[in-house]
Amino acid sequence: MNKETTILWLLVVASFVGVIDSAYIGLTSLSDTLIPCGLTLGCDEVLSSPYSHLGNVSISWIGLLFYLSIASNSIFGLSGFRKAFKITLAASALAFLITLYLLYIQILVLQAFCDYCLLSAFLVILILGLQLKLYFWEKTELSS
Amino acid sequence: MPKNTSPTGNRSRDRKRSKKKSPSILTPVFLIIFFVVSAVGVALYLKYSKPGGVGNQTPSINNSSNIASVLSTNGWTKGNGAAKAVLVEFGDFQCGACATAQLRISKITEQYGSRLKVVFKQYPMQRIHRNAMIAAQAAEAAGQQFKFWEMHDLLFERQNRWAQVPDAHTIFLKYASELGLDLARFKRDIWDSKIKEKIYRDVMEGQIAQVQSVPAFFLNGKPLRNARDDAEFENLILEGIQSIQ
Repeated sequence: MNKETTILWLLVVASFVGVIDSAYIGLTSLSDTLIPCGLTLGCDEVLSSPYSHLGNVSISWIGLLFYLSIASNSIFGLSGFRKAFKITLAASALAFLITLYLLYIQILVLQAFCDYCLLSAFLVILILGLQLKLYFWEKTELSS
Repeated sequence: MPKNTSPTGNRSRDRKRSKKKSPSILTPVFLIIFFVVSAVGVALYLKYSKPGGVGNQTPSINNSSNIASVLSTNGWTKGNGAAKAVLVEFGDFQCGACATAQLRISKITEQYGSRLKVVFKQYPMQRIHRNAMIAAQAAEAAGQQFKFWEMHDLLFERQNRWAQVPDAHTIFLKYASELGLDLARFKRDIWDSKIKEKIYRDVMEGQIAQVQSVPAFFLNGKPLRNARDDAEFENLILEGIQSIQ
């Protein structure tokens, strides 16, 4: 397995976890039940705050679309199609900025943390890192 | 002219070759469908499976002995602390049914307080009650100054005055002042992370006991079924008291 394939598979795995995470939060937002928190104590506080919604829609659904786009692009990449790589790289950069904002909200505004949000933040950073690595690797491969 | 050198033969061979080289779009499409179905399937499983996950022995609402073992009788208590009969309530200060139940509990405590220990545990349903958490924090902060039950009663009594306001904590400061609490300490305690942790511990306990709605009552570790009226509620409590003595 070459470097490109390895990175693409890692992107598929990371976005798979991301889809589960965001779909779980999204589904929970549709019901009135409390969300169980494992490592932190503030899941319900964070996920019921106004920052977690755009209007009445949980922002986790936007996260779900992001992870699906990364997964689709990586799967197409593994199959030999590489059309939208730059678009998903831009989406990852935007997701990274949103993640920074949401981390700021958790640390300084709400002073509460949620496992699922921290996992998502980690995944976004990982995905951006992997995409940048792939981008620069391809650039050097093409120039050499 | 040999067959394989004809222009049409070359074209069809080229087409076959180019077909072999270009990747099929169907494979990634099927992979993506598989990806979405399995990821959403896992999310649905996590959402609707019982807390604790697969393979864990989680208490079922039908398995009362298991609930008794996970439910602690620690918390805010009233009645007779040494009584064998214990009534645990998981409540939310912003829930209307909890405010109604509060009247029943007061009546029961007055009548059977010497034979019954009543325990209140926090279960703020933040997703539907915007001020439930801050109300729970206010009651806990009052508790730090030994006035939990006084604040508890006041919060339920005046629920409609603070339930929908944007800054309920300023109203709670007035209540604290009415109760003669040290306001500087109350203001500090209401945001104390230890208080929030205590509330979340109660919520976790409720989740383990499979609390689905509030108020949820457990008598001697067994879930108490919904009573239609005050008389039925009193009978259920009385039965519980008599069965354990």
